[in-house]
Amino acid sequence: MILQTRPLTVTINGRRYGPIDVPEGLMMIDVLHEMLGLTGSRLGCGIGICHACVVIWDRDDQTSEEVQTCITGAGFFDGKRIRTVEGIARRNDKGEILALSPVQQAFLDQFSFQCGYCTPGFVNAATVLIERLKRAPVPRGQVEATVAAALEKHICRCTGYVRYYQAVRDLILATPGLTRDAA
Amino acid sequence: MTVRRTGLRVVIIAAVVLIVGIAAAALAMRNLWSGRTGGPVQAVNAPADVVARGKYLSEAADCAACHTAPGGAPFAGGLPMQSGFGTIYATNITPDPDDGIGRWSAEDFWRALHDGVRRDGAQLYPAMPYTSYRGMTRADADAIYAYVMQLRPMKVANRRTELNFPFNIRLGMLGWNMLFLHNSLPAVSDGRTPAWQRGRYLVNVLGHCGECHTPRGIVGEMKLSRSLIGFALGRVAAPDITPAGLASRGWTAAGLRAYLGRGLARQGSAFGDMHPVIMLSTRNLTAEDLNAVAIYLLGDNPPPPAPLPPPDATESAEAASGAGRMSYVALCAGCHGLDGNGVPNTVVAVRNNSTLRLADPRNLIVAMLDGIGAQNFSHRASMQAMPGFSDKLSDAEAAALANYLRVTWGGQKGDVAASVVRALR
Repeated sequence: MILQTRPLTVTINGRRYGPIDVPEGLMMIDVLHEMLGLTGSRLGCGIGICHACVVIWDRDDQTSEEVQTCITGAGFFDGKRIRTVEGIARRNDKGEILALSPVQQAFLDQFSFQCGYCTPGFVNAATVLIERLKRAPVPRGQVEATVAAALEKHICRCTGYVRYYQAVRDLILATPGLTRDAA
Repeated sequence: MTVRRTGLRVVIIAAVVLIVGIAAAALAMRNLWSGRTGGPVQAVNAPADVVARGKYLSEAADCAACHTAPGGAPFAGGLPMQSGFGTIYATNITPDPDDGIGRWSAEDFWRALHDGVRRDGAQLYPAMPYTSYRGMTRADADAIYAYVMQLRPMKVANRRTELNFPFNIRLGMLGWNMLFLHNSLPAVSDGRTPAWQRGRYLVNVLGHCGECHTPRGIVGEMKLSRSLIGFALGRVAAPDITPAGLASRGWTAAGLRAYLGRGLARQGSAFGDMHPVIMLSTRNLTAEDLNAVAIYLLGDNPPPPAPLPPPDATESAEAASGAGRMSYVALCAGCHGLDGNGVPNTVVAVRNNSTLRLADPRNLIVAMLDGIGAQNFSHRASMQAMPGFSDKLSDAEAAALANYLRVTWGGQKGDVAASVVRALR
């Protein structure tokens, strides 16, 4: 049997990969894990529900959104720019981590996770949310509802979500420019 | 037809209906004066078996679908129903004396179901399907009455109907009823067996299937000559459920029993407005009644289910190499599989799926754009949410994907244009 392949060119965390030949029908999570050595994204349910596998798709209009890589074929990402959890912290030229992102630091400070399996997804979701609020701040009274709506789809089986949500809420309230006073 | 001409026709027809209505009103004065508002609170003590039968019949008639608002108390009303004429709110039918029907007699209840008249003499609008319930037996109506009258009374005030002129004149419904209220609805299949007769009663009367599946005319009447041929009352269209329509999409009596009893069949899963119908109503039907419904819908001699035709060679070659297949592999195959067979108990098959086999691509496109929320089914089955792809597919890409699906697994033509997708966004 001959495996049908398609060329994939994709920019991940600012680095261009490809063109590489990817078997048709391979999901992006497998390409990240098996072909590109980016193992930080987690395969959970495999049917697009738990959101542990999400990456950030940076659209050309400067907005970003989460995409589940377990149910999204590699072909979807051809020519697109994405970020994985490996690209969230600040690194030097050698790839060494200089500083965690504020979201990552907040999760550590608030003991947001236990086993950590869902954490890459939560990091990406919170990152997308913070970037969105930089463009469009919300009233302070709506922060909790905004956090809940943004993280709602992410499933965590250890901590009951409270510390994840609190960490993101506190980070938003403590970061200038993400909220506004009036309703 | 232009919107303006449609509007003019509506006004003319409405005026005719109104005039006929006023004439009828003159004849029906006695009827009108008979309306009451006060009166004693009814105490109904029906035998337990009558109440139980009433509960079953109320489920078969799916009273709860409209008379229960999302998150609201059962049968306390409040569900808004949008129509081209304005918004109608389902009413409180718990036995509360002031907000519900606590002062209604069995006779009052019967008149509402049979004649579309409220206890106070005002006309009901056919959002309440008395047009179908008119065929109900008095014994069944009384049993439903006995059941609802022993529910817990709920002090939930009714919301005022918000209809535009001239439809806000309830008297006009007298004329409408003279034109469009029939004692029985036409049969959609051939049959004479007792099961077929029972199925006709369940489908045409209790289940009031035609209220969604039969096309509606310009003043909201069911076009009975085209009964159950399918209609888009809401965003998800009610498909053709005539024997020919069902057979053309591969439905069998066994498939219909599985679908109506469980919401899941090889031909697909219930979504849109049909999902609550199954959860509130048809799943509660006895095996005999489910079978009767299937027999009536297909007829005593059901047409053989049409096998999925082999795809047109030219069209399928085009589809296989085109953008539609690229999108399928990228966005759909992760769950539905490259072979279109889905995952048992988790993801429905798209191969030979009833929605793909509809000539009208509307429901397929709506599912692609909006997704389908997570749904529980009977027998403890549940299906995860399908994401919507409106932000990931352009109009042209969505049209190409719909065409790939239709040609490859639906036996339909790949004739969906991008403009069709745009109109449904």
